[in-house]
Amino acid sequence: MGSGKTALLERLIPSFTDRGTSLAVITNDLVTREDAERLQRSGLIEPRRVVAVEAGACPHTVIREDPTLNLDAAERLEMRFHPLDLVLLESGGDNLASTFSPELVDYWIFVIDVSGGGDIPRKRGPGVLQADLLVINKADLAPHVGVDLAAMTREARDVRRGRPVIVTNCRTGEAVDDVVDHIVRNVLFDG
Amino acid sequence: MLKLTGIVGMASDVDLGGTLHDLAHEDRVETIVLDRRDMLRKRLRTVTDKGTDCAIALPRATTLEDGAVLLLEADRAIVIRASVETWLHLKPEDAAAALELGYHAGNLHWRVAFHGSLLAVALEGPRKDYLARLDAFLADGRITLVND
Repeated sequence: MGSGKTALLERLIPSFTDRGTSLAVITNDLVTREDAERLQRSGLIEPRRVVAVEAGACPHTVIREDPTLNLDAAERLEMRFHPLDLVLLESGGDNLASTFSPELVDYWIFVIDVSGGGDIPRKRGPGVLQADLLVINKADLAPHVGVDLAAMTREARDVRRGRPVIVTNCRTGEAVDDVVDHIVRNVLFDG
Repeated sequence: MLKLTGIVGMASDVDLGGTLHDLAHEDRVETIVLDRRDMLRKRLRTVTDKGTDCAIALPRATTLEDGAVLLLEADRAIVIRASVETWLHLKPEDAAAALELGYHAGNLHWRVAFHGSLLAVALEGPRKDYLARLDAFLADGRITLVND
């Protein structure tokens, strides 16, 4: 929650648009459309290419237990904007046990942030362990919240046993290109 | 990068088996070993045992299986193999411990199987992480590890 998922999307969208990637976005919120509306107002993407799913319950229920609402949203976007190269799906803010159903997503990024505590990787939540890519955001806040960012990153790499970790600052765009490169290689199969 | 977009057949298919057998004799069958989680994917960048860079992109209704043949050419085949799963077998001390263990495993989203009076837990991460979550159960004897 508040780790910077929407901020990351706001950085990813123009990067993929610049690459000529045909893109759509699905946001998930508990009982609002706030994240979708933020993106629709951003001017970064045609508003109709952003769809909101309201979970109405714990956010992981609609990305793991029963992803039907999100699958339907993706199919509607694909029909409307065919052919789409990439659909970015943002989960609602959840906890360290949140995971995605492989029925729903091809590649899964888990976003945590420095201000949530340097001990988050050590807690070995399924999200931290299993995601295809772990993003540690808000790198610039580390000295202000007493977090040893180098140690946090090292522990994240240790517990993930070789799975990638990227440290970002989505407000400035720092290292977001690395996230784009991972998606381009592993999802779009380019490079 | 080699793009693989569908399942040609199964290694066990009679009409494919002969061809695969001949290719295997010439060491021309490449294998992609996937764990259970990756077997559920529709789109995956991976490498074969011979180092071929592969991009698997399946229709969403298609599911990978052990023995799925993704490429069959005159001089090469690529076959999916499921990695062997390991399980932790737990024996509850009594019905109360079994109830508590079941509740605990559910809370942790563990994948389980019921083997008579044992609860089997699929290890999808380091074994010590699972044992750490069971520490209190093991310490006071509410459960014991079986054949382990």
